[in-house]
Amino acid sequence: MSIDENLQVSNDPFTRVVRQHQVERFYSDEAALLDEHRFAEWVQLFSDDTHYFMPIRRTRLRRELAKEFTQPGEIAFFDETKQSLLGRVAKIATGTAWAEDPPSRTRHLVTNVRITQDRGDELDAETNFILYRTRLKSEETTWIGSRRDTLRRHEDSFLIAKRLILLEQTVLLSQNLSNFF
Amino acid sequence: MTIATGKLRQLVSLERGEIDRSIFSDPEIFELEMTQIFGRSWLFLCHESQIPKKGDFFEAPIGRDNVLVVRQRDGGIKGLLNTCAHRGNAVCRAEEGNVKNFMCTYHGWTYDIAGKLIGVPGLDELYHNDLDLSRNGLREVAQLEVYKGFVFGTLDPQAPPLADFLGRTGRAGLEFLAGQGELEAVPGIQKFVIPCNWKFAVDNLFDWYHPQITHLSAFQTGLLPSPPDITGSKMKISGVAAPDGSELQMPGGVVSGDAGDQLVFIDAFGHAIAGPTVEAFGDFGGLIDHSWRDTPEARANLGPMSRRSIGHVNLFPTCWITPAFNQISMRVPRGPMETEIWWFTFVPKAATPEQRATIIQGAIHSFGPAGFLEQEDGENWAQSTMQTRGTASAKIPQLLQMNLRRGKIVHDSDGLDPPYIECSINEHGQLWTFASWVEWLTGCDWDELRERTTPPDVI
Repeated sequence: MSIDENLQVSNDPFTRVVRQHQVERFYSDEAALLDEHRFAEWVQLFSDDTHYFMPIRRTRLRRELAKEFTQPGEIAFFDETKQSLLGRVAKIATGTAWAEDPPSRTRHLVTNVRITQDRGDELDAETNFILYRTRLKSEETTWIGSRRDTLRRHEDSFLIAKRLILLEQTVLLSQNLSNFF
Repeated sequence: MTIATGKLRQLVSLERGEIDRSIFSDPEIFELEMTQIFGRSWLFLCHESQIPKKGDFFEAPIGRDNVLVVRQRDGGIKGLLNTCAHRGNAVCRAEEGNVKNFMCTYHGWTYDIAGKLIGVPGLDELYHNDLDLSRNGLREVAQLEVYKGFVFGTLDPQAPPLADFLGRTGRAGLEFLAGQGELEAVPGIQKFVIPCNWKFAVDNLFDWYHPQITHLSAFQTGLLPSPPDITGSKMKISGVAAPDGSELQMPGGVVSGDAGDQLVFIDAFGHAIAGPTVEAFGDFGGLIDHSWRDTPEARANLGPMSRRSIGHVNLFPTCWITPAFNQISMRVPRGPMETEIWWFTFVPKAATPEQRATIIQGAIHSFGPAGFLEQEDGENWAQSTMQTRGTASAKIPQLLQMNLRRGKIVHDSDGLDPPYIECSINEHGQLWTFASWVEWLTGCDWDELRERTTPPDVI
């Protein structure tokens, strides 16, 4: 479905419904690529200038909650460019990335899709997610969190120009992060 | 809890290079480690740059005790046990931050940042002023010392002074970081959990045999520059093949058959450094700045051999210093089969924004749970730990036999260098760690421990 240039920043109810549908469909398709291990296709959903960032979260007193997450330029779990994301994908494809061989079984559930701003060429979308993973016989991990994306309109779809991933964990309760969020 | 010394000694054979696998999952051994090692040793807590201002605190573990490392009014640092004198509740539930005082949320007992009890609800009406506030402050660690910005604590009042405990090996290891000038810990301590015994994680830091296989995918994709192929294709890998029968393609690696590409330092109390020389390792594709090694300070603080090492350091028991991207990894034992990994990253305060970014990006992309390298480590250690529970599998000895009895130890007793070995890839660092570990478990006093962990002439 192509986007009508005249309607994209409108608050017209029909336009909003269509936009919501397009964004939700984009996220469902993205999740399917990840869960089907089609990482080379998945990484092409990101713009060349993308920034993919998962900060460290710290248990803080309520009055210091502004310092809960680390910022770009500080330590993070993921601080990725398109180039390094491509590298991560290439790594899995080598056949020698043992953390993913045997491959993890994953399921991405993306919900609560909220478009918080629409600037025409780009829009901001917030989602909640569950990433469920099992490995080997009995390893089980559930990551729950939110993503704050900037989606750039591109052809008849979007490119992810920015992704901030906030996990509901401080001490990460898994032995690694060999999967994508 | 005690286990007879004779029985303990059977767990590790320095002569045969074998250890008993049960030590990686036996709950009795774990309890003994908690008292005899983590209850006595100096342990790294944090860096003073993490708590610059009065009332700044960082919570760090000493075994199963939680310690609030707190900047004091006079600029000093105290280590306070995070447990209320009344019912034992934690008086602080944040990992880090700044406070004016600590108030227990159970009954409101309030302590100042020095740990002094300054407020008790109903002191007059309910306790009739019979409660001695001066005796009921937060308990302090037995000793706390700062060495070149690195804060250490111990629960043992008998422990020798920190610099003495560290010895030449420990001091050299810290110099790999501190030698670059005044440091700052970058905000954000990566913390994650691996279902493994902490000693597998420690063993691995000395292991320069595993990267070429465990981390092959990172090197194959060029995500991390392969260290130069110093094998000269001399190391035969025939017979090493994937499950589909294909021979592995290795784009160079750190494994060498040449004597002298690796340096190992082993020392009293179980400290060790093992890894390549700077000449063999290079600068990791231009990412590592070695220029500090030629400064007068580095020459004054390190011996000619340790100045050439870019090996991995273990301050016994679990403080891993990796000089490549200025990091410290603590392996925090939470149970026989559960270990938390805490990563600290340091940058020189004088670093340019570009140098700072190189170090931070190098750190994030090498180690930590999403690191191109460390992603692959956890499952190895978890599976190794799990197999030690099998009735038959546990009886198979763990092998540490590479270059066994070929490590000639040079004792440079007058100089700055710790006892060292020039060699090829080996398992001396691991073996020394386990040999010393047994001596700690016997519970002997510090003098005897030092004597029994003084390196021999050959390992």
